[in-house]
Amino acid sequence: MQTIYLDNNATTAVAPEVTAALAPFLADQYFNPSSAYDQARQVSAALQTARHELAVLLGGVTPDQLTFTSGATESNNWAIGGVVRAQPQRRHIVTTAVEHPAVFEVCKELARQGCDVTFLPVDRSGQLDRDAYVRALRPDTLLVTIMLANNETGVLFPVAELARIAHETNPAIIFHTDATQAIGKLPLDLTGEFEHVDLLSLSGHKIHAPKGVGALYAKRGTPLRPLIIGGHQENGRRAGTENVPFIVALGRAARLAADHLAGVDQIRQLRDWLEEAVVRTIPYLEVNGQGARRLPNTLNLSCHYIEGESILYQLNEHGICASSGSACTSGSLEPSHVLKAMHVPFTAMHGSVRFSLSRYTTAAEVDRVIEVFPEVVASLRRISPYWDAARNAPRPTAPQEAPAHPTNH
Amino acid sequence: MAWEYSEKTRQIFMDAVHGKPGTHMGEIEKPDGFGEHGSIVCGDALRFTFRVRQHATDPLQDVITEARYLTFGCTSAIAASEALCTIIEHGQYTPIQALKVTNQDIVRFLEGLPAQKIHCSVMGAEALESAVFNWAQKRGVDLALAGVQLQTKGEDEGRIVCKCFSVTEPYIRRKIKELNLRTIPDITNAIKAGGACASCHHAPGGLQDLLDEAWGRQPAAGGPLPPVVPLTEAPAGASSFQRFKQIEQVIAQSVRPALQHDGGDIEVVDIKDNLVYCRLSGACAGCMGAQATLKMMVERTLKEEVSEQLRVIAV
Repeated sequence: MQTIYLDNNATTAVAPEVTAALAPFLADQYFNPSSAYDQARQVSAALQTARHELAVLLGGVTPDQLTFTSGATESNNWAIGGVVRAQPQRRHIVTTAVEHPAVFEVCKELARQGCDVTFLPVDRSGQLDRDAYVRALRPDTLLVTIMLANNETGVLFPVAELARIAHETNPAIIFHTDATQAIGKLPLDLTGEFEHVDLLSLSGHKIHAPKGVGALYAKRGTPLRPLIIGGHQENGRRAGTENVPFIVALGRAARLAADHLAGVDQIRQLRDWLEEAVVRTIPYLEVNGQGARRLPNTLNLSCHYIEGESILYQLNEHGICASSGSACTSGSLEPSHVLKAMHVPFTAMHGSVRFSLSRYTTAAEVDRVIEVFPEVVASLRRISPYWDAARNAPRPTAPQEAPAHPTNH
Repeated sequence: MAWEYSEKTRQIFMDAVHGKPGTHMGEIEKPDGFGEHGSIVCGDALRFTFRVRQHATDPLQDVITEARYLTFGCTSAIAASEALCTIIEHGQYTPIQALKVTNQDIVRFLEGLPAQKIHCSVMGAEALESAVFNWAQKRGVDLALAGVQLQTKGEDEGRIVCKCFSVTEPYIRRKIKELNLRTIPDITNAIKAGGACASCHHAPGGLQDLLDEAWGRQPAAGGPLPPVVPLTEAPAGASSFQRFKQIEQVIAQSVRPALQHDGGDIEVVDIKDNLVYCRLSGACAGCMGAQATLKMMVERTLKEEVSEQLRVIAV
């Protein structure tokens, strides 16, 4: 059976060009870039090329402001922890209730260690209240960390504006953004629109590079203590012999992402096509993040009165790979903290499915999902104690949180 | 988490959702026994019904002939419901014999369940128990006289230990013994308690205390978790009252009328010390150039009329 891969916010397929670019560094180009001989100099030059390619994707920043890491989780841990360690006298952090765990849990850990953390709420469509953000900024605010695009819903936060407001309030406030999901899907100019961003985390495996490589952009002059100590590599900012093959891969993937930015509209058209079709055919379906600006590739749905894991399981029988914020797909028993923060109705909270597309997604694949998904939902509703299959509507006795939206009219 | 279900679980689930003949999805009209467990808020729920062949004189000799379920839940919750009905029908049990079917029987029938999914089998056993209780009421059977120690819902009422899943102290105490639960993860896997915010794990009277009371205190593995610091609310802006009134007055008397004259408007979002956060709206708001000009105009007016220190930030 053919695989239909619609889980690109989880990870992406490595691009063939990327595999080809990294291969020599797993073969004869094995030298340590820090060594003195000519052979090593070639490897070290490859690192600099990769850094330059990534700098171009970020609007042409000076490349030495980029440090390669093992991925966005390390970048986030480093950025947030490194800022706090550099100025321990300032204790206030502003973040949101819907950050990725690599930010959310780090902030909660810092709160346990004595930092004061403000978690900003979001509304029903996943958007921040800008006034609440303004009110949260305080004289002792050290750090603002707010994601650019939400990994679950694709909802975008106005990070360029929020960073400007932070700096106009107090230039000493450091603004960090986790841009893991936004990179390659939106133009991101750190020398223009996003000039007020001080720190930015990104990951390779969301843009068709392998897992295990990422980067942190740190604007020159940003007070930041290192996370990994024990070597002079990366200008002393991140110790450890560089992961040359994967850094080369990240550089190549960044170049491809820049080349493909113009083609993002095609991904958006496929996503919109999928969204319109399922909203038309499936009653009692929520589009999470509807009404907000969203990533072009992400569609997060909640089906009332059924559970997400059993949806995924059936989709997978058709070769379709997607994900869910349902409790049963995670290690915890709680549904997604993002959907909870958005106050998704409790009857739909456990029935979420996320489809995330890539530039490799085809119209035929989307059509197949449009064919299969409504039948999967219907089969689980037939088995649900809350659904009346004959009327194709909830039973009158089923719990309801007003207002439910019977969307197919 | 990738699927870790047995082939049997997978097959039963697929047969059930496709309504293959011989499966038990559905609900019996006017059933002889009716039981429910779980809720939509908690993420899984089971509605279980059965019919008996009534014995002419002795209800204790009724035999279950048909069992049906409707389930809201994950793959294993649906498979466990299907397994329960198959076991009950196949065994030709009397309702009281059916009570001997435990969650372990369901797990065995499914050829194993991942540890985090054990609660799906417990849900089946619980729904069965309450359906038998319902049958006994309808048939006028005194279960105590029949030698059954059945916990009524009332006996499980009491102090709520796990607020996330509304699990009470008497219920947890009973299940710790019945299901031989030895650790907090055991409890969470079986009955969900403690599976969300975790604040009941080591609180006084929490899960660890109940385990210690049941089994005696175990040597601590890594010490208790550090207390979770409550999340702070965004504070309301605290600014000098007099300064605030002055700024508001200037905006009301000179800034706003000037803006409104051109079809625009201004809203003060917050004031912190010398920073005035404004939302500039109306006809000019869409234009970035106009936005900057407006900001400068408002700032100049405030500097002249209130204080040279003031700065305006557009929000």
